[in-house]
Amino acid sequence: MKFAPLLLLATVALLIALPWLVSGSMLNAAVQMLIAALFAMAFGLLCGQAGMLSFGHAAYFGVGAFAAVHAMNAFGGAGLLPTPLLPLVGGATGLISGLVAGYFSTKRTGVYFAMITLALAELLHALASHLKAVFGGEAGVSSFRMPAWGIGFGSLTDVYFLTLVWTLLCIGLLYLFSKTPLGRITLGLRENAHRLRFLGYNTHALGTLIFAISAMFAGIAGALQSMNIEAANYVVLESHISTAVVLNSFIGGVRVFLGPAIGGAVMTFFGYVTSDLTRVWLLYQGIIFVLVMMFLPRGLVGELVERLRHRSGQGVARSLGATLLRLLCLAVAAAGAVFLIEFLQRFLSSEYRAGVSEGNWPAISLFSYDWAPLSVLPWAVGLGLFGLGIALVVTVNRRVADRQEAQA
Amino acid sequence: MALRTFARSTAAMALAIGATAAGAEPLKIALVETLSGPQASTGLLYRDAVKYQIGKINDAGGFGGEPIELLEYDNQGGPVGAADRVRAAISDGADVILQGSSSAVAGQVTEDVRKYNLRNAGNEVLYINLGGEAMELTGAKCHYYHFRTSPNAAIRVNTLLDGMSEAGVLGGKVYAMNQNYSWGIDVQDNTVAAADRLGFTVVEQTLHDVNKIQDFSPYVQRIQAAGADTVITGNWSNDLLLLMKSASGAGLDVRFGTAFLDQPGNIGNAGAVAEGHFLSAPFNPEVNQDQTAGFMEDYKSVTGHYPSYVEPVTVFGMMLLQEALKAVEPTEDGLNAADLAVALENATANTPMGTISMRAADHQAVLPMIVQEVSRDAVYKADNTEFGFVPIKVIAARDAEQPVQASCKMKRPG
Repeated sequence: MKFAPLLLLATVALLIALPWLVSGSMLNAAVQMLIAALFAMAFGLLCGQAGMLSFGHAAYFGVGAFAAVHAMNAFGGAGLLPTPLLPLVGGATGLISGLVAGYFSTKRTGVYFAMITLALAELLHALASHLKAVFGGEAGVSSFRMPAWGIGFGSLTDVYFLTLVWTLLCIGLLYLFSKTPLGRITLGLRENAHRLRFLGYNTHALGTLIFAISAMFAGIAGALQSMNIEAANYVVLESHISTAVVLNSFIGGVRVFLGPAIGGAVMTFFGYVTSDLTRVWLLYQGIIFVLVMMFLPRGLVGELVERLRHRSGQGVARSLGATLLRLLCLAVAAAGAVFLIEFLQRFLSSEYRAGVSEGNWPAISLFSYDWAPLSVLPWAVGLGLFGLGIALVVTVNRRVADRQEAQA
Repeated sequence: MALRTFARSTAAMALAIGATAAGAEPLKIALVETLSGPQASTGLLYRDAVKYQIGKINDAGGFGGEPIELLEYDNQGGPVGAADRVRAAISDGADVILQGSSSAVAGQVTEDVRKYNLRNAGNEVLYINLGGEAMELTGAKCHYYHFRTSPNAAIRVNTLLDGMSEAGVLGGKVYAMNQNYSWGIDVQDNTVAAADRLGFTVVEQTLHDVNKIQDFSPYVQRIQAAGADTVITGNWSNDLLLLMKSASGAGLDVRFGTAFLDQPGNIGNAGAVAEGHFLSAPFNPEVNQDQTAGFMEDYKSVTGHYPSYVEPVTVFGMMLLQEALKAVEPTEDGLNAADLAVALENATANTPMGTISMRAADHQAVLPMIVQEVSRDAVYKADNTEFGFVPIKVIAARDAEQPVQASCKMKRPG
């Protein structure tokens, strides 16, 4: 794996060059992706490495966001806390709230742990709408990024670099942490907490510490978010933020180091692009999650790493060829499914029903063609492509299996 | 590829030179609404209404001889998505941003627009708030480039109380039952403030959790114990339905005065339980029949359903924008938003409900309100039930108007 450092350098170089390569709208998406990646990494430390599934990480993200926005208003970007250092406030509040919440929740494990984290997050969410002075009520708390260190922080590019530096720094720190003795024991906590205790470790203190560190990085991500949008609103404490980070991390692969980050970035990008193209993007997101969990339970990155690690006797080129062929067949099936879903969505929309009169079903325009809903054609195209794709995947799989058997 | 771009730009230039008189660029208006997810139903109503009236404006010639382009963005239900989409809309060239379905999102959008305008003087964008009714949007958070075309808590509550009082159904004992967040608190404060003016006593005030309560019977017992004649509530969705059903189940003889009883599905869900309860809203299909009937049918022929809930007031707000656009001269790069802001401050529009205008002091629309009752006699039924809304009193725009909040300190340009 000599090419790993090279790959890393190339990625960082690409990220630095990004503002000159993509449009403003995409740069905006990139900022969101970086924040989601850092948040997912914070969650990944707790869930992937320490084996504690938290359902309430929005709380620490939100605490960081509000702390940063209040600090931004209090210091005006000058004095002790210039604008670029504001995420430290988010990190500090995340750490403190993580210590408190972690102390209680890590007293239990498994489902009970998850329930406590969920309850604590909901407690904060319920409180937030009542405490107008702190959480700003329905309209939220807003702020203004002030110039500091000779940087204006008005343009999106400045915000992008601020987010990029903090995200890379935090991911770097998380990597170094995973190499420390404490980081290694974290894995022990996941694998067998009882044995760890017999060895003389204080697992409760250990769990609390890991929880707090995870909450600290979540707080930094929250601070970056509120600096990006120059506001914080108590909807960041809602449970769907907590579930989104769980989904993102698992889609990426929660047990490999960069898995959650890539999952977070990919799914944020997916939402960013598809939400303007189709009204049913949430359905696609759900389908992707279900498919990943069914067929790639290690997650996208986890599966990739696994494949690269266990290269079998057959050549790399051949296994790559088979994978590409599978992806191609899957693309056919996906095209069919997307066509069917989009066609149905338009067919069932209120606008379309408005145009329907007695026995008159106007054609539906989709992918720059007009389809008559009562004819067989659109249904045949959708179902046909989907069926063909699935059949092809099955055939390819069977062939690969046969060949492996022949070799064995 | 390069050649094609070159050819295209040459063609565009030739067109532009040939057609300078017809105006240069079409005006772009961006709708940043919740179009997917659990809160999408209201967002889609705003979209229908905006599309309807933009269609009307374009039929009448658009702006500067070009049809207006409506860009749609999905804010994904929250302030974070909205902040993103506002940026995207501005970078796509939008001069006006429309949004309505949530005050949380409105709070984000109005601040984003304010900051963008501070950083990009001379290149301002306008935010037309179609439905975020939180008081602070025209209070502490008011600014020159934000305009609200919907009513707010003060207008809703005061017109409701005036109408019920005049109809003689308010009674002397009023119970204020609201959700414990900024909107509910605004409704409660306005109810209490009107007590002396209308000669009733507020027997008790309750703020409860938002959309968490499944069993309202303890609250109903408190209403009963207080001996209230009327319950004034800003509750919406389940909190309103469950409260009314629980009161009816306990055999309680009180009248509800509400702000959002006309939300689609409410009457269908509540049925006879809603009968006799009151609502103050900016529209009723039975007012001004000669004009309104035409509007109802035309709206239905375009969108497939009669306008209800937030749709009429959204259409009226867009009418106000239409009138303002008539008073603005197109510039070379489309539209100068500062000119449009001046024009909007002076605009009035004739809607089927009466004249609406924009108040310059805090950019709150001044619009007529209709106090109405749920009844079997309604001409237009709601949700395919036998019930609908019958107008009890039309409150003219100047009587519905409420004082400018002291917290609004608007900085005017120049």
